[in-house]
Amino acid sequence: MSAADFLNLFIAAVLLAGVYAAMSVGMTIIYGVMKIVNLAHAGFLMLGAYFVFEAYDRFKIDPLLGALLAFPVFFFIGMGVHWLLVRRIATSDQPTLTSLLLLFGVWLVLQNLGYLIWGNSDRAILTPRTLSSLEIGPISFPTVRLAVFVVAVASLVGLEFVLHKTWFGRSVRALMQNKEAGQIVGVNVSRTAQIAFGVGIAFAGAAGGLLAMLYSFNPDFGASFQLRAFVIIVLGGLESFGGVAVGSLILALAETFVILILPASYQPAIAFSLLVVALIVLPEGIAGLWAKRRRWA
Amino acid sequence: MSSSSVHRLLQRSVGLLHVLAIAIAVLVLVSPVWAQDEIKIGVVMPITGREAKPGQYQREGIELAIKQINDGGGILIKSREKKLPIKEVFYDDGSDQSRSAGMAERAMSSDGVVAVIGGYSTALGEAESVMPDRYQTPWITPGAGATTTFSRGYEFVFGTLSPIDLLGYTTAQYLGTLVDKGKLGKGLKIALALENTDHGVEYGRGIDNWNKEHPGYFNVVFSEKFELGATDFSGLLQKVKNAHADIFLADAHLQDYITMHRQYIQSGMYHQMISYGARGPEADARKALGAATDYIFAGIWWSSKLAYPQVKKFNEDYQAFTGHAPDSWYPATAYDAMRVLAQAIEHAGSLDKTAIRDQLRKTELKNSILPGQVIRFGKNGQIQGSFVIVQNKPDDKVDIVFPLDAATGESVAPKPKAH
Repeated sequence: MSAADFLNLFIAAVLLAGVYAAMSVGMTIIYGVMKIVNLAHAGFLMLGAYFVFEAYDRFKIDPLLGALLAFPVFFFIGMGVHWLLVRRIATSDQPTLTSLLLLFGVWLVLQNLGYLIWGNSDRAILTPRTLSSLEIGPISFPTVRLAVFVVAVASLVGLEFVLHKTWFGRSVRALMQNKEAGQIVGVNVSRTAQIAFGVGIAFAGAAGGLLAMLYSFNPDFGASFQLRAFVIIVLGGLESFGGVAVGSLILALAETFVILILPASYQPAIAFSLLVVALIVLPEGIAGLWAKRRRWA
Repeated sequence: MSSSSVHRLLQRSVGLLHVLAIAIAVLVLVSPVWAQDEIKIGVVMPITGREAKPGQYQREGIELAIKQINDGGGILIKSREKKLPIKEVFYDDGSDQSRSAGMAERAMSSDGVVAVIGGYSTALGEAESVMPDRYQTPWITPGAGATTTFSRGYEFVFGTLSPIDLLGYTTAQYLGTLVDKGKLGKGLKIALALENTDHGVEYGRGIDNWNKEHPGYFNVVFSEKFELGATDFSGLLQKVKNAHADIFLADAHLQDYITMHRQYIQSGMYHQMISYGARGPEADARKALGAATDYIFAGIWWSSKLAYPQVKKFNEDYQAFTGHAPDSWYPATAYDAMRVLAQAIEHAGSLDKTAIRDQLRKTELKNSILPGQVIRFGKNGQIQGSFVIVQNKPDDKVDIVFPLDAATGESVAPKPKAH
C-alpha cells in the first residue's frame, strides 16, 4: 500500500470518528447527569434522519442546515419526553431496570411511529455534494464526511464551552461528579436533568440528520450506531466528553485498519472485542486512566 | 336477601354457565367445518425491519395472486365438489430470524393453515425452513435462494427462487459473452466482495464454478466477505483497490449496496464492469445514488421487461392493484409461488397437506412469469430457472442484456470512465 493510500485510509478513519462522536455524545450527556442508558437513542437518530430528509425534500433546506435546525427541535422534544415520562422514574446512582425498559419501549414506539408515517421504503439524501470529494494532491476527502466531521467537532467544542463557561454547564458537571453536593450548593437537580435530557436528545436528532447525509435509512435505522455508541462511551469513560472523542477515534481507527489484516467480516467483532477489553482492563474508560495518571503525577 | 333467594340465584347462574359451556363446546367443535369453507394460507414476510421493502413487495405479489384466484371463485376442491376462496393469514416477522421461525411455527401448528409462503431473505428463509417437516405442512419460499436451505433432505420445503450459485454462474457467463464479443479482454482480473451469508458464499461459488469450466477468461485476484449493515467500507474498498482488478463484483443487500457504492464513488475507484449481485436497478438505489448507478449490471430472477404476454398482463394488474409499477423481481417470484401452490391444491383435490406436498413435487406451472415461463420444482424442492442480467442506463433506463434472446438493449462494456 502506498503512503497516499495509507493517508487516505487514515483520513477516512478520522472522518468516521467524527460521525461516531456526533452520534455518541448525546448518550454520554444523559448518562452523565441522570445515570440513564438511553436505549431510545437509535429512535431519535432515526427521527433526526427523517427530519432532515423532510426538510430537504419538501423545503429544499440544505441537509447541513437541516441538521442544525434539528438541534433546537429535538431539544424541545427531549424536554417533552423527560416531562412526560423520564421524570417519573426513580433516580439512582446506577442505571435501573425501569429506566432501561422505559426507554427501550420509547424506542419501539418511535420505530413504529416511523413505519406509520414514512412506511418501510429506504430513503436517502442525494445532493451534488453526496458523491463528490475534495482532492488535495493524492489525498481525497469525501465532501459530505468532511462536512459531518467539521459539524461534529464544532458541536463537541461548543459543548465543552457550554460545560465550562455557563451556569448550566457547571450544574451539569456538578451533578455528574456528585449529585448530593450539587444540590447543597444550589443546583436545581430536576431542572438541570430535564435540560440535560433535552440537550442529549438534541445531539441525537442532529447526529441522525448528519448520518442521513451518509447512509440510506428506514424506520429501523440507528441500531448498529447505538451499539457502537455503547462501545465508545464505555471506552471513553461513561461520563467524559473528551473520552467520547478519543473512544470514537480508537474505534474508527481499529475498524478501518484492523480489516487490512483481518477479513472485513470481522468488523463487528472488532467493536465488541474493544468493549470487552475496555470493561475488563479499563472499567472507567480512558477518562479513568487519565484521572489515575493525574493522581500519580 | 333471604338465603333461599340467594340459593335460587346461584342455581340459575350454574344453569346459565352450563348452557354457555355447551354453546362454546359446540362452537369449538363446529368451527373447523366452517374454517374449511375457505383455504387458509399463511404468509410470513418482513414488512418492518431491514428487509421491509422486499418483504412488502413479495406480500403484494402474493396478495395479487390471491385476489385473482378469489375473483375467479377460488380453488376447485374435488372432495367438496365446490370452489373455496383463499384466506390469507399474514404475519410480519420484523426481519428477525427467531421471530420468523416462530411465526411460521404458529401458522403451521395452531392457526390451521394448509400451507405457508414465507422467507425473504435467505437468512429468514433458513430460519423458517426447519418448521415445515416438523408440522408436515408445505412451505414455499419466494425469497430464499441459497441451496443450503434445500440440501437437508426436507420433504415439505419448496422455493421459487433459483439457486444463488446459478446467479454467480450466470454473472460470469454474461461477462464471458462480453469477452467473446471482444468488448472485454481475455484474462481480466476480478475482485469479489461478498456478504458474509450463505447468499454471498454461493454467489462466489457460482463464479468460481464458471471460471473452472472456462479457464483463461478471468482470474479472481481478491475475494473477501463483509458483514451485513456495516457502517464503513473504506478498509474493504482499499483492499479491492490494492488488488488492481479490472472487474468488481460484490454481493450485497440494498442498504450495503448504497453505502458501499457511495464510498466507491467518493474514493474515485473505477472498474471496467461493476455489479452488486442481485442489486442494481432498484428505484430506492437510483434515488440514493443518482447517475452513479448507471452501467451497474445485476443478475435478477425476473424483469418487468421480459417479452412474455403474461408478464405484460402481470405488470398491468400489479400497477392497478398496488398503484405502482413492479420495479424489482421481488413480487414476481412471490406471485408465482402463490399460483403454483393454488395449482397444487387444485390437483390434490383436497386440503390434505401431504397430498398438496405430493402435487407440488410433480406440478408444472406452464404460464409462469419467470424466465423460461415454466415452474417445476427439482428433487430438492428448488426451481432451477434461469436468470436475466440487466444493466442500468442513463435517465433511469434499465435494459435486459442477457440472455441475448431476451435482450432489450446492448451491453455497455467497458463502463464509461465518468461513472
